[in-house]
Amino acid sequence: MGLLTGSSTFVRYSVDGDIPDNFWDFAAERIAAFSFKDIDDTFDEYSIGWVSVDNMFDSDFAYTSYAAGDYVVLSLRIDERKVSPAVLKKFTQKEEERIKKEKQVPKLSRTHRLEIKENMRLMLVKKAVPIPSVYDLCWNLSEGTLSFFATSQKAQAILEDFFKETFNLTLTLQIPFLTAAHLLDNDEQEALAQITPDIFV
Amino acid sequence: MDLVDLISEKRFLGQEFLTWLWYKSEERGGTIYLPGKGDIQVVLEKHMLLESGEGESLEKLICRGLQAELQEARTGLLMGKKLEQARIHLAQGEYEWNLTLAASLFEFRNVKVPKTMTSEEESPDPGAIEGRILERIGMLEEATRTMNELFRTFLKVRVSPEWDDELIKVRTWVNKAAMN
Repeated sequence: MGLLTGSSTFVRYSVDGDIPDNFWDFAAERIAAFSFKDIDDTFDEYSIGWVSVDNMFDSDFAYTSYAAGDYVVLSLRIDERKVSPAVLKKFTQKEEERIKKEKQVPKLSRTHRLEIKENMRLMLVKKAVPIPSVYDLCWNLSEGTLSFFATSQKAQAILEDFFKETFNLTLTLQIPFLTAAHLLDNDEQEALAQITPDIFV
Repeated sequence: MDLVDLISEKRFLGQEFLTWLWYKSEERGGTIYLPGKGDIQVVLEKHMLLESGEGESLEKLICRGLQAELQEARTGLLMGKKLEQARIHLAQGEYEWNLTLAASLFEFRNVKVPKTMTSEEESPDPGAIEGRILERIGMLEEATRTMNELFRTFLKVRVSPEWDDELIKVRTWVNKAAMN
């Protein structure tokens, strides 16, 4: 579903804000600062960063591989250790039973149970393997547009925040009404703002 | 107005466009004239999603079929539904694209671009990879540019006094198509 796969699924953004004159130096510095850091050998729960669109293990960008002509092509990689709610529930209950037996009490306090749940979560997160998600993007510098290869609203919200953090530029999803603003002259845009839905039968 | 409100208030614009595009493509047997590009082929096929109403009264209708005349979908139009999603076949010169357009958010789904390179040309050195990426981007952007131009053609009519005449033609098409 990405940029280089057999068929691609994407939405369009406009990139708003001033691009620095020495853009490629700026881009090199910012992309390096926000590149992906692997968490396979740590206990971190979450990691997000840029990788090469061609290879999700490449976050060093040899040959400045994010630069293709007048485009910036990148993949946003998110690795996350997740614990399934069913697993967490099972281990929490098991631990509660064990403690109740040990202390010979019929019930545990709410605070104690929350503490057990959090401890179990931490124990399970450490055991969980990070699950990767990779989303491609392609930024057209001359037009100030960007294609993002995901339709999930969650992924889009993460991209909008992370892009802003990296490049200090704002992304605006180009829904039809906003796309229209780039296609019409001023008078037509004013007329467009006034129109209401019509019935086609 | 923030984006969330804008999406729901202007949802109709993309759906009106896609419904109009279906009419426009059938008006001349699958060919649409685009200023600056000439005649291009636009055919809506295979998979359609129609919608009417909003919120709790939202109704959806899905139609699939390779060679189907999409009769149910046409009847849907007659019930006042509009197109929310359709598989579109685009052809320009010797190149062909297939894509699904989700109208209210302008999502391009499952876009298939013309294949221009053979597998032997796909070498792994950085220069070749960049070339391949640029070619791929070019083909994808050509599809979005063409859709934008079609959208512009619709918008120009939609905001002009000619829209009244166009609307009569669209309504005639909707009524006729459902009768066949």
